[in-house]
Amino acid sequence: MIISISLRRALADIRQHFPTQIMTTMVVSLSLLILTFFCLFSINLQHFVERFGNELGVVVFLKQGIPQERIPILYQKITGLKGVEAVKYVSPEEAFKRLQSYLKDEREVLEGVDPRFLPPSFEIQVNRAVFNLARIKQVAGEIEQWPEVSKVQYGREWIDRLEAFSGIVRKIVAISGLLLMLTAAFVVANTIKLTVYARQEELEILRLVGATNSFIQGPFLIEAFLQGLAGSGIALSIVFGTYAYLEKMLGASSMFKNFELSFLPWQYVAAIISSSVILCVMGTALAMRRFLRL
Amino acid sequence: MREGDAPAIRLKGVSKRFGLGNLALADIDLEIAKGEFVFLTGPSGSGKSTLLRLLFCAERPTSGEISVDEMNIGTLSGAQIPLLRRKIGVIFQDFKLLNNYTVFENVALALEVIGLRPDQVKKRVKQVIEGVGLGTKLNRKAVQLSGGEQQRVAIARAVVNRPPIILADEPTGNLDNKRTEEVMLLMEELNARGATILFATHDERLYQNTHRRVVRLEDGKLEAAQ
Ligand SMILES: Nc1ncnc2c1ncn2[C@@H]1O[C@H](COP(=O)(O)OP(=O)(O)OP(=O)(O)O)[C@@H](O)[C@H]1O
Ligand SMILES: [Mg+2]
Repeated sequence: MIISISLRRALADIRQHFPTQIMTTMVVSLSLLILTFFCLFSINLQHFVERFGNELGVVVFLKQGIPQERIPILYQKITGLKGVEAVKYVSPEEAFKRLQSYLKDEREVLEGVDPRFLPPSFEIQVNRAVFNLARIKQVAGEIEQWPEVSKVQYGREWIDRLEAFSGIVRKIVAISGLLLMLTAAFVVANTIKLTVYARQEELEILRLVGATNSFIQGPFLIEAFLQGLAGSGIALSIVFGTYAYLEKMLGASSMFKNFELSFLPWQYVAAIISSSVILCVMGTALAMRRFLRL
Repeated sequence: MREGDAPAIRLKGVSKRFGLGNLALADIDLEIAKGEFVFLTGPSGSGKSTLLRLLFCAERPTSGEISVDEMNIGTLSGAQIPLLRRKIGVIFQDFKLLNNYTVFENVALALEVIGLRPDQVKKRVKQVIEGVGLGTKLNRKAVQLSGGEQQRVAIARAVVNRPPIILADEPTGNLDNKRTEEVMLLMEELNARGATILFATHDERLYQNTHRRVVRLEDGKLEAAQ
């Protein structure tokens, strides 16, 4: 009964205060829009850093003239290391071919050169979750001790830089995300507070003619719920539209072919919607509380 | 007052002080029996509105005991206040209408809060509004009414749920003689149907030729006047 009365009164109320309702919804969606865009950006940045890190492999150069039968044994040994995802053997002939294609038009310089002059090598792809920088250093050091190995290369500077960069990025993202969240919460809570205060007289009169607090609060809370839902829905739709557009643009351009965008995971979407709803409903309930005492 | 019947309103040693300042009401003792019609008079600022506000719990007394319809106001919890207010129809000195609501909506509010069905609300509200002579202005917004019309809407809202107790704070302050007479007749009628009425006014003409009890406030102190 109280729910149906509240719903009916909420509808009448929304009709009567339509401009204010739209304003509040806009404020909610704009505040969330900034936050949501930021989430999209930081998630894609994180993915990019991760993917880039995964592509950095470890290369083990073998000494010249290793007997062929030793190759599979070494292959097994490397594959057996914890955190190694894939190992590829690059024979001297294959290395020569790569060099040729790299040199393109200047490949004449290789004429007459023995196609076996380059050392054979293993290219190792590591799981970045297991292989942090310290572990890579350690494993590289171990492999370097093997008698068949001449050198281990692991893009040391790159890893160092990447590690430092993603560490800073993670901190910046966390801090600005938190600040954006606080700002959004502050703006939304204050907008709601002002709209409730603007109707203070109405609340007092309702109390004076014998309305219970739930009767008074019902429609307000339903409206807040709808504002939270609509506000976050609008923000997420705009961000999704932008995402879909960018995705299409990137797919069409050859330059960013390998650059994949991803949308917010559903947990983020759920968190944004529910925190928006909770913020609006709680903000309304708190703002109303002081007018419902006497 | 009939023997053994609890009074509708009872104040015992009630004082009200605002902040650290003046005593708006000082040691008031007052009993009003069920079905009684009492005039509360006194000059401006003597504490009439304050006394009424204590009765429907818009203010809490600084000291003393108040009971209304056998409810002890002092121990009333926040959740019980609405129940008290549904027993009391208050005509506010400053009307307290919702300006952007229509006449109908303003009066209907008092019935909606007690959960009456919409069709019943409609019937009763129309009846009462016609009773105060505003039948043609049902859908007018409260701001678009004259002071006297607003006062009559306030009266309609106070009586629409047929409360056993009516507190009227200068309900004729903005009305001409004819309307004043109509309101007095309405009050008499409600009283005849059993409502207890406490009628605050400083208009002597209203109680000059009456057999009703008149109590007088002077600087927050109560004195029997008639
Ligand atoms: N909220 C308040 N805060 C401080 N003082 C108040 C408050 N309400 C009333 N008073 C004071 O209490 C005294 C009594 O006020 P009250 O409104 O009860 O008078 P009244 O008899 O109704 O006057 P009037 O005939 O003009 O309506 C006045 O001196 C007033 O200034
Ligand atoms: Mg007064």
